[in-house]
Amino acid sequence: MATTPPQTRLFDRYALAGYDEMFAGPGQVRPHYRALHDRLVRLGPEELEHRHRAADLMMRNQGITFTVYGREQGVERIIPFDPVPRLISPSEWDRIEQGLIQRVRALNLFIHDVYHERHILRDRVVPSELILGASGYRRECVGLRVPRDIYVHVSGIDLIRDADGTFLVLEDNCRTPSGVSYVLKNRQVMKQLFPLLFAEHNIRPIDDYTTNLLAVLRHIGPPGVDEPVVAVLTPGVYNSAYFEHSFLARRMGVELVEGRDLFFDSGQLFMRTIRGPQRVDVLYRRIDDDFLDPMTFRPDSQLGVPGLVAAYRTGRLGLANAIGTGVADDKGVYPFVPEIIRYYLKEDPILPNVETFRPQIPAHRQHILANLHQLVVKAVDASGGYGMLIGPASTAEQRAEFARRIADNPRGYIAQPTITLSQHPTLVDHHLEGRHVDLRPFVLCGETVKVLAGGLTRVALPRGSLVVNSSQGGGTKDTWVLRAGPPKRSEAP
Amino acid sequence: MLSRVAENLYWISRYVERAENVARLLDVGFHLELDASGLDGDAPGADPAPIASVLSILACRDAFERAHGPGRLDREAVMRFLTFDRGNDQSIVAMLGRARENARATQETISAEAWHQLNRLHFYLQGKKARRRFADSPPRFLQGIKRACILFDGLVDGTLPRTEIYHFLQLGRHLERANQISRILSVKLHGLREGGPVVESPLRIVHWSSLLWSCAAYEAYLRDYHDRVDPEGVVRYLILDPEFPRSIRFCVSRCLESLRAIAAGDGFGSEAERCLGRLDSELHYIDPAEIFERGLGRFLSGVQDACNTIGDEIHQAYFFT
Repeated sequence: MATTPPQTRLFDRYALAGYDEMFAGPGQVRPHYRALHDRLVRLGPEELEHRHRAADLMMRNQGITFTVYGREQGVERIIPFDPVPRLISPSEWDRIEQGLIQRVRALNLFIHDVYHERHILRDRVVPSELILGASGYRRECVGLRVPRDIYVHVSGIDLIRDADGTFLVLEDNCRTPSGVSYVLKNRQVMKQLFPLLFAEHNIRPIDDYTTNLLAVLRHIGPPGVDEPVVAVLTPGVYNSAYFEHSFLARRMGVELVEGRDLFFDSGQLFMRTIRGPQRVDVLYRRIDDDFLDPMTFRPDSQLGVPGLVAAYRTGRLGLANAIGTGVADDKGVYPFVPEIIRYYLKEDPILPNVETFRPQIPAHRQHILANLHQLVVKAVDASGGYGMLIGPASTAEQRAEFARRIADNPRGYIAQPTITLSQHPTLVDHHLEGRHVDLRPFVLCGETVKVLAGGLTRVALPRGSLVVNSSQGGGTKDTWVLRAGPPKRSEAP
Repeated sequence: MLSRVAENLYWISRYVERAENVARLLDVGFHLELDASGLDGDAPGADPAPIASVLSILACRDAFERAHGPGRLDREAVMRFLTFDRGNDQSIVAMLGRARENARATQETISAEAWHQLNRLHFYLQGKKARRRFADSPPRFLQGIKRACILFDGLVDGTLPRTEIYHFLQLGRHLERANQISRILSVKLHGLREGGPVVESPLRIVHWSSLLWSCAAYEAYLRDYHDRVDPEGVVRYLILDPEFPRSIRFCVSRCLESLRAIAAGDGFGSEAERCLGRLDSELHYIDPAEIFERGLGRFLSGVQDACNTIGDEIHQAYFFT
């Protein structure tokens, strides 16, 4: 009989804090984590580190990189990958899934309303000036009918867990959210590295994402076109998410085009091919609104296609996501999303928001200014972890600076209590330590609304850090949504 | 297929082919110098001719002199210039870097295996390992590069369906190869008298053999010609042999095949196809003696001109739509 192996050291330094995804208390592993916990202990630190290095090498050789700017040239990096997967129990996931479907349905109705009848503004549920002044608002879209009235075909809704373990929506991403390629690649790498773990768990598959995405894109083809030609529009190889654009095009079996590959003629968009022009019916565009068409938006855009918006207007081109969806993920609009859900769906929101204070309301402003040291302040038109003040980690100077900015431009900021994100065991130099995580599930909206089972778990790697963005040193984990019932087969170790 | 993608594919294989050639030429040059310094007492390695001749084959002698000043060609400096010098766009690192950059921009079209190969090679060249290996033993490093490039070709062959994607890669590879062979022949034959009788000195044999090595043809040639390394045989083999994959005739035939496969759906022949067809039939039906009568140098520069025209016409027909 084997005695206890010496490798149990993996968890020796592990300290509980806040809500822990794996442990309910000291030594108390949550039931859905038991198999994983035991397997990790048996693997031991050396083996785990070894497989971690193998994962990094796999990702680098496969070109799963993003580009970091700042130095003379963009440097290609892999996003740090943590080999300990994040698990979500069936009941947790049911609630998340229902909540996301509800939220995306409401946001779609909201965007449609904003660009058409504006009932919600007239009923004063959301202040007009907030919408009309939002940086994502595009007056060019007023009255514009979009295919099947779908606006947000692809969204990434960022979720966090508070100290009680309740999932909260931190942020909606309704324009061109990225990260789904890492979800799919992480899974692939994990299957190669830990085949046994997969045999021991009953995990919901995610491989159908690209098939579902293609179905959504075909769904918005111009009327009368039976076999719409779909392409992915990328800003090009220097974009930080280029790997993802190319990965999605490859998995869907469609062309990956740049603006210079396209041109507009007689109301229709064409690609330049070796056999001459070929019609394009639907674009999954990964270029921001402002750069899509120099004739409509920024005239200096080199990335877009002159005439693209004209083809869109006349219904000869489907676009995912629609133009002008930025009104829905504006941080200034975020506090109103629960009301938006109630307004359109007559339902209570399933997933709550994080409590949010708006400097435009005098009482809120007083509260914010008095409690800057405890709050997180966010600029409404920034993303990626930029333009933020994290109160507890800030200096008096930074707080004074933000107080001044808030006074100058109350519309430009929101404030939230600092939430200690849930933590998850993460490999740090031969040991597992707790690191903060969030979750970005991806939601597709076509004929029906479908949620990819899981999403991107981002992990803040520096000890104590609450910032999970990859541009700020965040890493990723594979995310497993477990199905009720035993695994399909089990094997001895 | 998008014109931009077709152009990228075509250049990926041109760059890989050229990088492989540089590696082979330097490797052969390196060995030849070791031999020559033992045989030729008059010039004991003072002027590293075989390695310096690689500069001429790649048409970057001027660039080298601009970077390093005129005068004596230091062997070490030339080797560095053609391997790791990022400032020289004909260096192995620069060419494979561009091949990889093009592949990165078209990774959704080529197979994952082929893309990973170029990516891995690029990271290897960026890292310390490559430089260490080069410092330890240049031939080992160069042979590694050669193998890595051939592996890319093999992965393309073994993983891609025979669609336009494959044929644009083939077109670039074989056009580049035909061009390189003709340049190697021109430069290497420059010093040797064309056609006429050749003095059988040991050094000359070394030179003719090295010409075969430069085209990876030595052993194949000997099997066919039963160990007579004579100038006419070598020239005939490298230009006209129908079976050897590094003869000009073989490469031109492959180009034509690929171009026809690409054009199949079109029903009209391009100017590129006409030029290629003409060159192909000339290489099929020419009397070898005629090459020497016309003058080998003139013949080869004719081939190079044709290759350049074909390259231009391919651009016109497929990349500028």
